[in-house]
Amino acid sequence: MGAFMKEDDIYIGTFLDLFNIRFAPTPSSADAMTVFGGIDEITALQGEFGIFSSKRPFSASAALLGLGGIHKALAKNRWLELLRNLPDNGDQQIADALAANFRKKPPLPCYMRAHDARIKGENRVIIIESDAPLFYLEQKYLTISLPMAPRRQPAKKKAKKK
Amino acid sequence: MDLTAVHTGISDYYTAKIRKFGATPLGVDWTCLPTQELRFVQLLKVCDFTSPLSLNDLGCGYGALLSYLDRRHAGCPIDYVGVDISQAMLRRARRLWRNRRNASFIHGHASPRPADYSIASGIFNVQLGQPPDVWERFIATTLDQLHRTSRRGFSVNFMRAPTAGTPERKGLYSAEPEQWARYCAAQFGATTEMLDGYGLREFTLIVRRRPVS
Repeated sequence: MGAFMKEDDIYIGTFLDLFNIRFAPTPSSADAMTVFGGIDEITALQGEFGIFSSKRPFSASAALLGLGGIHKALAKNRWLELLRNLPDNGDQQIADALAANFRKKPPLPCYMRAHDARIKGENRVIIIESDAPLFYLEQKYLTISLPMAPRRQPAKKKAKKK
Repeated sequence: MDLTAVHTGISDYYTAKIRKFGATPLGVDWTCLPTQELRFVQLLKVCDFTSPLSLNDLGCGYGALLSYLDRRHAGCPIDYVGVDISQAMLRRARRLWRNRRNASFIHGHASPRPADYSIASGIFNVQLGQPPDVWERFIATTLDQLHRTSRRGFSVNFMRAPTAGTPERKGLYSAEPEQWARYCAAQFGATTEMLDGYGLREFTLIVRRRPVS
């Protein structure tokens, strides 16, 4: 998927973090330093507006929620393009998994990461329910893993023979 | 107390926002459209949409409430006036809604016309560098104006005060839910209702006039 991000592939981790903060377990204290409300906020938004549904790909919801960040429009557009082009309709698979998760009471926090798409059979979105993706947190998540591969470097021109 | 410096500070802050981000939720300092509209959902609970109504939108920004009303309450005729302290914000709003009927925008810090209802979303959050007593005088004055210009009721929202021991976020104002509810009940003889638990770290205060017996 590096082909979509081009030189903005350095921001992939940032985009994953944007998702992971918005969908994180809601902090237990009402600390005003915490800008976002975590999974409780997203649950409330889903309850009111049905943001994730079988009729809307995840990329559209991600754009609505500002998950492409605010500082670099080109990188944001490339990220959304990457999501739109996930193999096997992965964009919609993610939306369906999130919609199903939010039908549960309570829904699980969600965690997004990437895996190596170059491994045979791994060029697909992998969704794991009730997963523990972070060994340092005793917290179950819905994990969504996106297939990624490094972008190919442009072939170097052969030196002309003298 | 002269609030000119407060109003100027607010105007400068939001003018910079709209210039940077345009007519988007970020341009009025909200994270995204859904969180912006979730606040509208709460604030508009003051309104009875079963019959035509007039509505003042204080701190209207670029008029985002209009698109929400058009989607969710299209069946109810609403006479809308948006009021904002930032001229740059109003220019965006007027351009965006120039063809919409029953909507107008006015520059100022209070509505010049009475309406059935008034709402104000997020206008008390960004305290900037104002001392707490000055900012709370601004809030009290604004609540007084909202009450004076609302025939049936008004609603506002506040960030929830952090729990004891956690620091406040610099430049932001937060409150205990009871504080301003008590103020409105005592000052206006109004009934108050508090809405919270809607996923955002804030609460919405709904203030209704008591029916004249």
